[in-house]
Amino acid sequence: MLVLSRKLNQAIMIGDDVRIVVVAVDRDTVKLGIEAPRTIPVHRSEVYEEIQRTNRAAAGEPEPKAPAERAKVADLGKGRRAPSKE
Amino acid sequence: MSVTETIVESADPVVTVNLPRFGTCSYRESEVLDFPWGLPGFASLRRFIALSLEGRERFVWLQSLDDPAIALPSADPWQIFPDYAPRLPPYAISSLELGRPEDFTLLCVVVASPGAVEMTMNLLAPIVVNLRTRTGRQVTLETGGYSVRTPIPRKAPAATAGA
Repeated sequence: MLVLSRKLNQAIMIGDDVRIVVVAVDRDTVKLGIEAPRTIPVHRSEVYEEIQRTNRAAAGEPEPKAPAERAKVADLGKGRRAPSKE
Repeated sequence: MSVTETIVESADPVVTVNLPRFGTCSYRESEVLDFPWGLPGFASLRRFIALSLEGRERFVWLQSLDDPAIALPSADPWQIFPDYAPRLPPYAISSLELGRPEDFTLLCVVVASPGAVEMTMNLLAPIVVNLRTRTGRQVTLETGGYSVRTPIPRKAPAATAGA
């Protein structure tokens, strides 16, 4: 892992279009400002790790009781609603 | 591990697979869903097929074709939470080339406790599928305050939402 020391208001660049600035430092908390293209998802690691754990837990469910040969391709388009866009 | 065999030679071949969870199952190549970014926890799995079980069509199983042992249960969130109002972040819209609302759908992963006593739904990170390109991505919402494990009420409202 690359380790860099930064002071308040100093920044690092990741590639050409991601910039991370140290906005505030207070005891054991660092506030970071992130400037990134809107096409790049930015999240706290804990959130992503929680989604990973949830997916793994879902995949590890007990077997469904239905007979095996009853599985068929689902109709994803039928009667479903779409979300709003930002 | 099961072996994939192509049965029909055509532009859209029918493929039959033997799945640990569902047994023998057939699908068309055009029905395969591509997840170019994988799924959190399963980053290397790219090809999935959406399966439903007879009599339990409310649940959609996202069955991996790369690892037959992996199948994620999911459901249309509006069947259970009619007021669900996700705002998709810009990266989701651009990466999935989302256009008209009828071109895409949402599935939310369902987790059942042992014995299916309690079930939760991941409303924070819906799986968005572009039905036109058959490309999907699990997207983390940035607004709305939704939970990764939202308890599903035992008496869920009837599946009339959007019908």
